[in-house]
Amino acid sequence: MSTLDAPVVETRRLNRVYRSGFGVKLVPALIDLDLEIESGEVFGFLGPNGAGKTSLIKILMGLSRPTSGEVTVFGRPPRDAATKSRVGFLPESPYFYEYLTAREFLRLAARLTNVPDGEAGDRAQSLLRLVGMEDAADLQMRGYSRGMLQRIGIAQALIADPEFIVLDEPMGGLDPVGRKEFRDIIYNLRERGKTVFFSTHILSDVEMICDRVGIIIAGRLVNVGRLSEILTREVESYEVAVDGVTGKYRKAFERVGRQVIRSGETLLVTVRNEEEVDRVMAIAREAGARIQSLVPRRRTLEDHFMQYVQKQDEGVS
Amino acid sequence: MIGRIRAIALNTFREAIRDKVLLTLIVFAVLVMASAKVIQPLALGEEQKVVQDLGLAALTLFCVLIAVLVGGRLVYKEVEKRTIYIVLAKPVRRWEFIVGKYFGLMTVLAASVAVMGAAFYAILLLTGVPLSAYPLIAMVMTVFQLAILTAVAILFSTFVTPIASAVFTFAVYLVGHLTRDLRLLAAMSPSPVIKALSQFLYYVLPNLSNFNVRGEVVHGVALDPGALVLSALYALVYAATLLLVAVAAFSRRDF
Repeated sequence: MSTLDAPVVETRRLNRVYRSGFGVKLVPALIDLDLEIESGEVFGFLGPNGAGKTSLIKILMGLSRPTSGEVTVFGRPPRDAATKSRVGFLPESPYFYEYLTAREFLRLAARLTNVPDGEAGDRAQSLLRLVGMEDAADLQMRGYSRGMLQRIGIAQALIADPEFIVLDEPMGGLDPVGRKEFRDIIYNLRERGKTVFFSTHILSDVEMICDRVGIIIAGRLVNVGRLSEILTREVESYEVAVDGVTGKYRKAFERVGRQVIRSGETLLVTVRNEEEVDRVMAIAREAGARIQSLVPRRRTLEDHFMQYVQKQDEGVS
Repeated sequence: MIGRIRAIALNTFREAIRDKVLLTLIVFAVLVMASAKVIQPLALGEEQKVVQDLGLAALTLFCVLIAVLVGGRLVYKEVEKRTIYIVLAKPVRRWEFIVGKYFGLMTVLAASVAVMGAAFYAILLLTGVPLSAYPLIAMVMTVFQLAILTAVAILFSTFVTPIASAVFTFAVYLVGHLTRDLRLLAAMSPSPVIKALSQFLYYVLPNLSNFNVRGEVVHGVALDPGALVLSALYALVYAATLLLVAVAAFSRRDF
């Protein structure tokens, strides 16, 4: 395959195993992972802490090697300098050279990514503006807050105007305003045709900005697809809140509902379809109870996510 | 390539000069040199030699301490603080990183020798010792000795903690000045194990006593230029070999 039409990232049966306990115990971090990321998409890599997100990212960045399987970035090995010059990377909770000022650090990043010296100053300045760090640009980074480091981290990842940007938990340490600005940066990158891959365990980030999502649980990629494919738009269930139910009628609700939860004076009855809603209504009328609310529930990414996590937990126990 | 190595070297240099350890060691070195003024009256006619000997010894010892203490954490710290992720995810080859670090620290050491050397001459001036260019040779040989020790420190720094690295590097420095005794031990010991071990250490450890020309300089004994050039070449080859080993170890590492 030529490198021109190759996917930005391609992995085949990728495995990464760590040794622990004096090298005796083998801990799999990635299991038979097959993944393709196409040019120009924003890909959200979702998983709970310890699921293997950072392990994959380190392999994509050439920082560590897979135990087995294949991985290419732009059709080439990730450790190739030519590959890396097309990639920008923000590690998780970044920690930079604290004795440097942000401006000095960005100039260093520019030199390491072969940006000509003449351009480095302008690029650093425009990125400082982009991430809102112009005022603190000439202070040593030892005094920076986590959010400020995160902003500088994003700036250094973009210094060489890379085609592919990999961000490990980029929203960590950002306040709501920072998150909004960060989303705008990603929108802007997508408009400019860049490919973005970012990991997170915060679902709302993914729902707002990703074209495609991959869900990783305990080292396995359990689902990959367009958000519209993963999230069905149809109603999955209805939640009926009923007030003033006496003991006798509660049994009747339990027979109809998939799930019945008591919360103070209110009974929350979850049912699957409209027919069952009608039956709940009928029982309520008969019981002289009052319907407080009727909420149709659609499946959210969170439901999906929780479903996989639960499955995994059941598998373990 | 050169641009990236220079950027890493410059960053290493900046880190060292913005760190209190370097400044503290240089100040101490100058204080020790200046203490010659105090002990001068005890020198019984050997004042000039004592001032020069003490000054050059302090210069070497404190530069060795800088190489050991700063060099020992050079690579380790980047891994521990995860700044290495940023650097190695960029189009920087692993050997460029090690070589950049090496030249950065060598620049720091050369600058330290220059500062301490200036202080040395200032103290000669203050104590009324006639100035000559001869001590410069001792300083240049110290730089070559540091070229080896820095490579040792970086090699250790790629896989052990800073404290362990500092201890090991300092041990190499001490034993490196005793390698001739190792050879003697190999020749004289009846035990085949000790014989083999001292022989092995004699060939593996750097012979650092070649770089100590302080005695000759202080006493005005003529130095053999051929031997000096040979020692300098030896330092370059030895340091390059150690860096190759460090690069090989570092390239295999996963982070």
